[in-house]
Amino acid sequence: MIDLIWLIPLLPLVGFLLNGLGRNVLSKPLVGLLGSGVVLASFLLSCGVFAEVYTARQAGEPAVFIQSVFEWIAAGSLEVSLSFLVDPLSAIMLLIVTGIGFLIHVYSIGYMKHDAGFAKFFAFLNLFVFFMLVLVLGSNYAVMFIGWEGVGLCSYLLIGFWFKNKEFASAGKKAFVMNRIGDLSFLIAVFLIFNTFGTLEFTGVFPQAAGMAMGDTTLLLVTLLLFVAATGKSAQIPLFTWLPDAMAGPTPVSALIHAATMVTAGIYMIARSNILFTLSPVTLQIVAAIGICTALLAAAIAITQNDIKKVLAYSTVSQLGYMFLGLGVGAFTGAFFHVITHAFFKALLFLGAGSVIHAMGDEQDMRHMGGLKKHLPITYVTMLVATIAIAGIPPLSGFFSKDEILAHAFSANKLLWVLGFVGALFTAFYMFRLLSLTFFGKFRGTTEQADHLHESPASMTVPLIILAVLSAVGGLLNVPSALGGGQALANFLSPVFADSAAVTGPFHLDHSTEYVLMAVSAVGAIVMAVVAYRQYAVKGTVPKADDAPRGVLAKLSYHKFYVDELYDTLVVRPLNALSVFFYRIVDRAGIDGLVNGLGKRVGESAQGIRLLQNGNVGSYIFMMVIAAVLILAFGVFNG
Amino acid sequence: MSAIITLSLLAILVLYLGLFKARRALLPVSLLGLVATVVLYGVQWGKTAEPLYSGMVLFDHFAVVFSVVCVILTILVLLLSKDYFDKSSPHVAEYYALLLFSLTGAVLVVSFHNLAMLFIGIEIMSVALYILAGIRKKDFASNEAALKYFLMGAYSTGFLLFGIALLYGASGSFDLAAIKEYVVSNPQGISPLFYAGILLLIVSLAFKLGAAPFHFWTPDVYDGSPILITIFMATVVKTAAIAGFLRLFYFCFIPLQDFWVPVLLVMTIITLFVGNLTAIVQQSVKRMLAYSSISHAGYLLFAIVAIGATSANSVLFYVTAYSLSTIIGFGSLILVKRATGSEHFEAFNGLAKKNPYLSLAIAIAMLSLAGIPLTAGFVGKFMMFSGVLADYQVLLVVLAVINAAMGIFYYFRVIVAMYFKPLDRDAIVVSGPYRVVFFLAALITLLLGVYPAWLTGLI
Amino acid sequence: METIVQNIQGVPLNHYILFCSIIFTIGVMGVLIRRNVIIIMMSVELMLNSVNLLLTAFSVHHGDAAGQVFVFFIMALAAAEVAVGLAIIVMVYRNTRSVDINALNRLRG
Repeated sequence: MIDLIWLIPLLPLVGFLLNGLGRNVLSKPLVGLLGSGVVLASFLLSCGVFAEVYTARQAGEPAVFIQSVFEWIAAGSLEVSLSFLVDPLSAIMLLIVTGIGFLIHVYSIGYMKHDAGFAKFFAFLNLFVFFMLVLVLGSNYAVMFIGWEGVGLCSYLLIGFWFKNKEFASAGKKAFVMNRIGDLSFLIAVFLIFNTFGTLEFTGVFPQAAGMAMGDTTLLLVTLLLFVAATGKSAQIPLFTWLPDAMAGPTPVSALIHAATMVTAGIYMIARSNILFTLSPVTLQIVAAIGICTALLAAAIAITQNDIKKVLAYSTVSQLGYMFLGLGVGAFTGAFFHVITHAFFKALLFLGAGSVIHAMGDEQDMRHMGGLKKHLPITYVTMLVATIAIAGIPPLSGFFSKDEILAHAFSANKLLWVLGFVGALFTAFYMFRLLSLTFFGKFRGTTEQADHLHESPASMTVPLIILAVLSAVGGLLNVPSALGGGQALANFLSPVFADSAAVTGPFHLDHSTEYVLMAVSAVGAIVMAVVAYRQYAVKGTVPKADDAPRGVLAKLSYHKFYVDELYDTLVVRPLNALSVFFYRIVDRAGIDGLVNGLGKRVGESAQGIRLLQNGNVGSYIFMMVIAAVLILAFGVFNG
Repeated sequence: MSAIITLSLLAILVLYLGLFKARRALLPVSLLGLVATVVLYGVQWGKTAEPLYSGMVLFDHFAVVFSVVCVILTILVLLLSKDYFDKSSPHVAEYYALLLFSLTGAVLVVSFHNLAMLFIGIEIMSVALYILAGIRKKDFASNEAALKYFLMGAYSTGFLLFGIALLYGASGSFDLAAIKEYVVSNPQGISPLFYAGILLLIVSLAFKLGAAPFHFWTPDVYDGSPILITIFMATVVKTAAIAGFLRLFYFCFIPLQDFWVPVLLVMTIITLFVGNLTAIVQQSVKRMLAYSSISHAGYLLFAIVAIGATSANSVLFYVTAYSLSTIIGFGSLILVKRATGSEHFEAFNGLAKKNPYLSLAIAIAMLSLAGIPLTAGFVGKFMMFSGVLADYQVLLVVLAVINAAMGIFYYFRVIVAMYFKPLDRDAIVVSGPYRVVFFLAALITLLLGVYPAWLTGLI
Repeated sequence: METIVQNIQGVPLNHYILFCSIIFTIGVMGVLIRRNVIIIMMSVELMLNSVNLLLTAFSVHHGDAAGQVFVFFIMALAAAEVAVGLAIIVMVYRNTRSVDINALNRLRG
């Protein structure tokens, strides 16, 4: 199986070519079959590869396999080969990308059934899987960069897929611009790595890096650049505003690219380069700080969003923040564990949202939903599972992964834990708010929509069910030893993080402390879930229209239960105010304003240069002479 | 050498064909002659090169490879010119002949071994182009382009000659080997005249290359000339200019690089920023491509800033990638302009719906120009950047990467227009030769992006 | 006659260089400040001829004929260039009725 690694990315590429070239010839079922078939084949191959890696790990080997396809660039001292690296880390990523990718392909067959660009959509989706696999499998930074750029490109194409609407196209552009800033940084980092280590191969760079001193300046620079790259791709402060806007794309795209795979590329890259980061404590602190800030900020914003996909988008940003927090406090396994579980439940949430949107006739505003529980039973149950998982309520998967990150945060810095805990409370609140507004209460849409309500076809619900099962039991992958688990994932991944572990020493936290932390976060999440449920499902509060003054909210909760008013004053209103503040000030005015301002400066300076190009030969020659004189003057002073 | 003779005779033959009104034979004969030239070069490949004709020219691998690139690019341009000039002028033969003369000049520029040949090559190349730029006699823009190009070109020739004269005065010879000998044997006693000569040569060669601050002619001339001539200028002439530049400096001036590298470094940075910043605000695709060609001149200069054994390979790769994409870019502009009468970005709106394959080719070209991985443009940029980094010019690389990112904005405007701007339009008819050229150029761009090895080991 | 040749040979090389540089600069300035295309072309010719003189001087100084051969190349190519240039000027004049370079600024920006 290991010899067939090259086939894993190649198959989706073939799918892309077939679907792309034959898009006017092939029938829709054939396109769907082809599109999902190639990904399924890749998935099966990945399973085989994973099995071999697993066997090797059981035998106690580090299980690193490198397959060189050919020498890519060879010029002077620069030698870059196109080669693939399979180790425990990439083996798991392979399963996620191809497995969830396959489910989303199947789901898309139902979701995109009526779309005119069906074949084009599948072609792009296949292309995305190809680039994502190249990113994951690359055995050096250059190949990784190919995938890195490629997934950005596909994301751009897929966001702009429904390009009839102008806003969609501009969202694609924003995603692209922000990603570019990150890519730029990645590229500079690549050159810097080459300059420092003389190679780009992971197997060449990391051992050399492991021998370097703690806090080396070059490493600091490299890791900071890599981290900026990761903030672009994984939507962290300050480059996160593109992700909510990217929700303009079709929902399966949001599920695959903007939840399960592409946005976790930044975490994958940092986990891959863990030794560089471990040796640069300053960067790690920055990573942790940015991670927790993003987690809080995005979670707070999610609380008042009314577009179902926007809530999920901010939620994704927030969860990615947790993963960065994990990386920042050295919980590489924990962060990666969260990547896995998050891939399950966030993909599920997006697909569920897609199912809802599908049933509602492309309505995304939750204020027009409500009471969908009885119309969409499967969607409801699966989304309930996902919501419980993401809220961190045991024993579903999100609890375990988030708990591991928070435990590491606790031992690193108590403040980080407190903030992380607050973020977890927000998470439980907005997720149950979403669930309540969508599935409980009375239906608030038009009668047309009410007549149209239906459960989605099997091609859409089966992926939901599979993902729900995974979301439920995914936590078993890495049950902490405090709960008597074997930490299977940590053991499996240990060779990848061995160098870092050697530097930092083993992680240890008292079992009793861990129990307390778990209990606190679980109880907190449950309380917030209940608050949100009471507020939005039992009481039936519906968020006001966007332009209504928020002060009216107080009147809304006029003479209800005493408890309700207490909740309202203590929890709901402050949360709402905070959320609106972050959304209006930081997200829209601050970061978007900054980016737009930068663009404006560039435009102004360009206009300045244009003035020189005034069309007159006389002034051209004048400037040439000035330049020639300057050059000669330089010669006089220099020579 | 036989190749240069073939080219010259071919041009004269084409002129006579025009005299005898054999218009149909023009294109086949030209193409046949060019293919024969490539074959002649192929036969020469691998033999030990000796300076020929009292050291006037030297057909080493460098010269052969760049000559072949120039000839092949000319073949592509000629394929595009089928039915382009028939419509505008009854005197098509002049057009073919002048292009071939200009190509002969370009071939001399890449294979000179004596400064006299450099001068003669540049003049043959340029004088023919002065006429070609103004070949649309009634068109104001074409007139203006020709006059501007001529005036500034003649002016820069003055600098070139003064520089050559100073080098001659200091070293006593026009022969590259002798000049090198002079530089190597007098490490301390280099005459100030020689330094001044180097600077003047930088000025004039930067002018031909279109590098800032001697780039002012480029946008106006590229904009005003007929698009096909612009393609020739942006590909063949630029290839010859950078190859000649590199040849001279690699052969003779490496020991003095501490002196001239700072000058080029500053020029390179200015070129990058001028090209990219101005391209962002252009409304016309033609002018955007003109400014983008300035920025690519900046990337090409990297090879000379970090001059060394790998420079030639980097330049070869970069210039090939750039030229192929430029041919697609301008070539598609010919079609779009013919269909819509406009050269603006809006003229590309909705093209992907009606002409999916044409749009795909354009998209590949733009991605390659922008330097996105898996296209030749990325590998070219990668080689250039890492070459400079090996020289520890970290600042230059950082600035260049920022510029590369700026470049993406305006290249993507074309893609956005084609794919994301809806417009009901008629499909553009793409004739056979255009299909062949676009297909070949796009295919090679992708192949080189995936498997660059077969071009990087040539020199 | 003898004395004239001897006198000329007595002129130091630096004087030639300086003299030619001055003529070259006059040519450069001529191109810069004149607006009539014909006069600009004459100024360019002045630049080229200063180079010719310089090359001849160097040629004699080095006792090497190559410099003087080069002068012939320059003359021939300058003639070709001027021929083409005048043709372009005539073409432009037919269309615009002007030989003022500043009249040509449609292409800009």
